Amino acid sequence: MEDIVKGIGLLLEFQNILLILSGVLIGVLVGALPGLSSPMAIALLIPFTISLDPVAAIAMMAALYCAGTFGGSITAILINAPGAPPAVATALDGYPMAKNGEPGRALGLAAVSSVFGGVFSLIVFIFAAPLLAKLALEFGPAEYFGLAVFALSMLASMSGKSSLRNLISGLVGVLIGTIGIHLTTGVERFTFDIPDLEEGIHFVPVLIGLFAVSELFKQSEKLNAVVERIQAKALRLPSLLELKKLKYTILRSSGIGTFIGILPAEGSTVAAIIGYNEARRWSKEKDKFGKGSPEGIVGPEAANNAAAGGAMVPTLALGIPGSGSTALILAALIMHGFRPGPYLISETPEFVYAIFGAMLIANLGFLFIGLVGAKFFSLVAFIPKKLLWPAVFIFSMIGSYSFASSMFDVWVMLAAGLVGYFMDRHGFSAAPLVMGLILGKLVEESFSQSMIIHDNNFFALLESPVVLLFFVLTFLSLSSPFWTKFFSKK
Amino acid sequence: MKNQKNAPKGLGALLNKNDTIIAILLTLIIAFLWFETTKFEKVPALFSNNIPPEMFPQILLIIILGMVLIIPFEHIFLKRNGKNIDSSRKTRVANSTIGTMMILSIIIASSQILGAALTIIAVSILLPIYWGERRLKVLIPYVVGFPLFVIVLFNIILGVHFEPGLLDLIKS
Repeated sequence: MEDIVKGIGLLLEFQNILLILSGVLIGVLVGALPGLSSPMAIALLIPFTISLDPVAAIAMMAALYCAGTFGGSITAILINAPGAPPAVATALDGYPMAKNGEPGRALGLAAVSSVFGGVFSLIVFIFAAPLLAKLALEFGPAEYFGLAVFALSMLASMSGKSSLRNLISGLVGVLIGTIGIHLTTGVERFTFDIPDLEEGIHFVPVLIGLFAVSELFKQSEKLNAVVERIQAKALRLPSLLELKKLKYTILRSSGIGTFIGILPAEGSTVAAIIGYNEARRWSKEKDKFGKGSPEGIVGPEAANNAAAGGAMVPTLALGIPGSGSTALILAALIMHGFRPGPYLISETPEFVYAIFGAMLIANLGFLFIGLVGAKFFSLVAFIPKKLLWPAVFIFSMIGSYSFASSMFDVWVMLAAGLVGYFMDRHGFSAAPLVMGLILGKLVEESFSQSMIIHDNNFFALLESPVVLLFFVLTFLSLSSPFWTKFFSKK
Repeated sequence: MKNQKNAPKGLGALLNKNDTIIAILLTLIIAFLWFETTKFEKVPALFSNNIPPEMFPQILLIIILGMVLIIPFEHIFLKRNGKNIDSSRKTRVANSTIGTMMILSIIIASSQILGAALTIIAVSILLPIYWGERRLKVLIPYVVGFPLFVIVLFNIILGVHFEPGLLDLIKS
């Protein structure tokens, strides 16, 4: 209890509240702009928040993350162009409802269910994260290695076209993490006699390149796309009677979203799609789906926002990112000198509660911003791409450069952007690569330490029941396409 | 009917052309990186605790290679699940994208000579014009206002160091 009060106390400084609200505003704005995404905004924000107090910096990013998920639904509903991937399912019924003359109602349903999903997952977070961290404190290097391997295997089921390519991307990320001086022996690896590579590749330019610059190249293909907008004067909150009718759908989706969010590597998009499908499956009015069903809006919205909170559980408790955005928050934590994982919660619990508080404020903040600013946010989607993307590139350049005042990092950013663009074209997602990059150090360190402890006998690792459990889970995760097919046939 | 006649048979039907090229390229990169790992400085076993620095990257390279070799055949499994791996690459890379890549590379290459302020101005002018923005009433305020905003925000307020570049030469 004392830690919760301390955590809230950390947040209550005027500067911190202001930064959280700025995070919410940027999040909704970025979410509402098709092409821009929360991971991209967080990646761009990291270098500029390095000089801030860690609580303020991480709280701002967490707020942006929560609000970005909701922001995507505004354009999904009003222009049928989901601002962010998690809002894809919202467009299926949100846009038809808006077309039927009820855009305010659609936005209101999305906002209220998002807030509910978000708050629900935060309540789970506040209880689950310390429990999980307590459990993880018992972990040794072998258990951590098992956990990291399991987390990497979960990359296979991340959104994207191909599980195999997601895994390759993840492992390439781990491989990139080996560039630089080997910590144990001091030997240079893959440095090609380039001094800038000795301390490894910095996270920031890679993240900015993969998320922002590669998207710029993609957008340069469709600069003249025309979108049709439905006028929304204001957001209309649903009545209590309507909420009563939808309570089971919202509750179910919040549970689904939180659970999926907690799973390593599973993000809001997967949660939203499952939330939508389950809402349809349990609905008494299945025929209304696709034509503006309220259940079709609250189902995915509660789920995608709940996944945002859920994803923070493994991120903070285990140091294993729950999604692309949380991988970036994890990178920011590392850059601020923290050691994400169980020690973060056991040694600085007030910091974790401050993040919880920031996400709570963000959830209430975007409801308020949605109420007063839905009309404005639907307009931002019409900022000409020909002006918006040069601005994004300028921010990307400054962000990459300012992190270490190095032009080499700007080149890394451009190279990452080019690689990201061609990866996407050929079905390789960028998010698994980022997660692999962030997990890379943990994988190698825990692998080396376990090998040393067990005299280079890999099979000795399996003597630990926890490692065995993680390896079984890894096997189940990798073979899931086969057994899910087998059971669905039955 | 015509499509069926032209459809590749035998190994050609098993392999996806684009993915085969990707697999060959990735295999070459893996071979090169493997060769690099053999050039890592040798460390006595006692010092490295029997975990030489090349061991972990080599394990990764082997696993990646194993997966890469499946890529050319993956389209068969994906098709069964209703996914088309070729959908995002059926059209060639747009000229506007290649042009954008080149412009940005040139701008970054010349940024050390230009300095930060001129680089920002160059991006604000060149990209919109290249992408076809011709409305002066939009362009002029953007080209003047946006770089000014960025310089004030980052250089003056946040204290990010901006290389003066050409501006320094002009001043002196």
